[in-house]
Amino acid sequence: MSARTRELTILILVGLITVTGFASVYIARQNELSPGSLSYAGIFFVLYLAAHLVARFTVPDADPYLLPIAALLTALGLTEIYRLNPTDALRQGLWVVIGVAAFATTLITLRHDYRRLESYKYLFGLSALVLLFLPALPKIGQTVNGARLWVRFGPLQFQPGELGKVAMIVFLAAYLHSKQEVLAQGRPKDFGPLLAIWGCAMLVLVATHDLGSALLFFGIFLAILYLATNRLLYVSVGTGLFLIGAAGVYETTAHVRSRVIIWLHPWTIQKLPCHTPHGVELMTRQQCGSYQLVKSLYSVAQGGFFGTGLGKGTFTLPGGGNLIPDLNTDFIFSALAQELGLVGIAALLLVLMLFVVRGFHIALLATDGFSKLVCAGLTFGFALQTFIIIGGILRLIPLTGITLPFISYGGSSVVANFILLAGLLLVSQRANETP
Amino acid sequence: MKMAAASTSVDGVLLALKIAFLFLLYLFIWRVVRAASREMRAPQDSVELAPLAERHEKRAPRAGALVVAASPYLDEGERLELSHEPLTIGRGPLNDLQLDRDDFASGRHALVDPRRDGVWVEDLGSTNGTFVNGVRLTSSRRLAPGDVLRVGETDFRYER
Repeated sequence: MSARTRELTILILVGLITVTGFASVYIARQNELSPGSLSYAGIFFVLYLAAHLVARFTVPDADPYLLPIAALLTALGLTEIYRLNPTDALRQGLWVVIGVAAFATTLITLRHDYRRLESYKYLFGLSALVLLFLPALPKIGQTVNGARLWVRFGPLQFQPGELGKVAMIVFLAAYLHSKQEVLAQGRPKDFGPLLAIWGCAMLVLVATHDLGSALLFFGIFLAILYLATNRLLYVSVGTGLFLIGAAGVYETTAHVRSRVIIWLHPWTIQKLPCHTPHGVELMTRQQCGSYQLVKSLYSVAQGGFFGTGLGKGTFTLPGGGNLIPDLNTDFIFSALAQELGLVGIAALLLVLMLFVVRGFHIALLATDGFSKLVCAGLTFGFALQTFIIIGGILRLIPLTGITLPFISYGGSSVVANFILLAGLLLVSQRANETP
Repeated sequence: MKMAAASTSVDGVLLALKIAFLFLLYLFIWRVVRAASREMRAPQDSVELAPLAERHEKRAPRAGALVVAASPYLDEGERLELSHEPLTIGRGPLNDLQLDRDDFASGRHALVDPRRDGVWVEDLGSTNGTFVNGVRLTSSRRLAPGDVLRVGETDFRYER
């Protein structure tokens, strides 16, 4: 069986999973949902067939599992978004269309040799910086929940950091590949680039107040640096610097400090002053700052072993409002955990892990340094981002709002992840094709 | 009463769908893991990152030998040990194995290529064809011990 035929058979299984999920949501909530909304599942499947056909023509020998895994993750996300808000599901479906288009464009334009990107590395570095700092600009930047991650152009709203991440990985892979031999010697003056990027990560942190993005970017940088030079010294020095910087920002920024306090002590017995739209009131912390996190933890707990079943979870207040703010973006994991239970959410984690395993497998097979670094960098970025958001929701690390790849509601995330997927397939094609 | 019956049947359907959904999720994981692990065990040339020369040395520890089984002009039983380098057979002077007295052999007749996964033989566009066990080659083919390779009027037996 050829790689693409295997991909198709697994995609059909994903289609079956999507239909089961949508049917369950529809039956559980039929007094609220119109039968027409069931067609989203069909549209979704057709989209992935289109992506499959593009892959058949452009990357026939590439890894057959990545596209179905991405499809399954998107399907899980879309099913849950559909259950929470059918209008958002339609919008997310449209974003998947744009994502698949970006996927196809990337594959078609770079199918002959993606390695020419290596010569445009500074262009990628520059655009990564621009994209990262865009939300910090006064007019177009938007502050949501204390972190400046959003950019608004008229009706269009997006998180440029997601695309910035991909550009940054291409830049770092190309740059570190060219400097690999020099850096591997580990002389004191070679720490220059390390300090420069650390400075940038700290600036991002200060400018956007977002610990998650800073951690993500610096983590990706350290991972690629380690892969390029094989020196643990850089990783330990880098981690130390990051901790020092983070401690500094913790002291100076109230937003970051409150995130850490919420993480360590989400529950209080005595009432504390809390800023509400009606002024300062006395409340416990779980009613105030850590409300979202605590409600999300209850949601995960409510799922138990087997979950409530899709469509039967409790996410709204008796009055009709949303129990957890940002449920379909940052907190989609806790919604899925409630409806699928431990058994289902463990499956989700396994699927996320499979994506990472396949990504590193491709990096192992790649025959040239640039491909290896790009592929491992993209995969590591995916893994670290997943860890940061799920770890935050499960109170393993301080919570920062970033998206769960392929699953969360959000256009920029979906598009960026499809480009990431295309990159992995291109490297895989090059490694697998017979010369 | 009727309402209660309807809601139990809906619950039953939902329970079935829930089980089906979880089952399919794990079926997906099982399929990907099974297929992927099988593929990891299969030999893959591209896993190796060693330079090409080293790869040639390593790739076939024992390539085997071609033994002359029947020939109008070569001694029967003559053994030709295969190295790790590809070997060409033909009438022309540039071949590794030259059959200059064989009028049925073409200038460049066949290629014997020891690879990591065995010794492969390929016809190089000869006029009269290359045969393995009497079957004319249309694409490259892996030799099994005991196979008889016919080039021109000469039969070689492949031995390990």
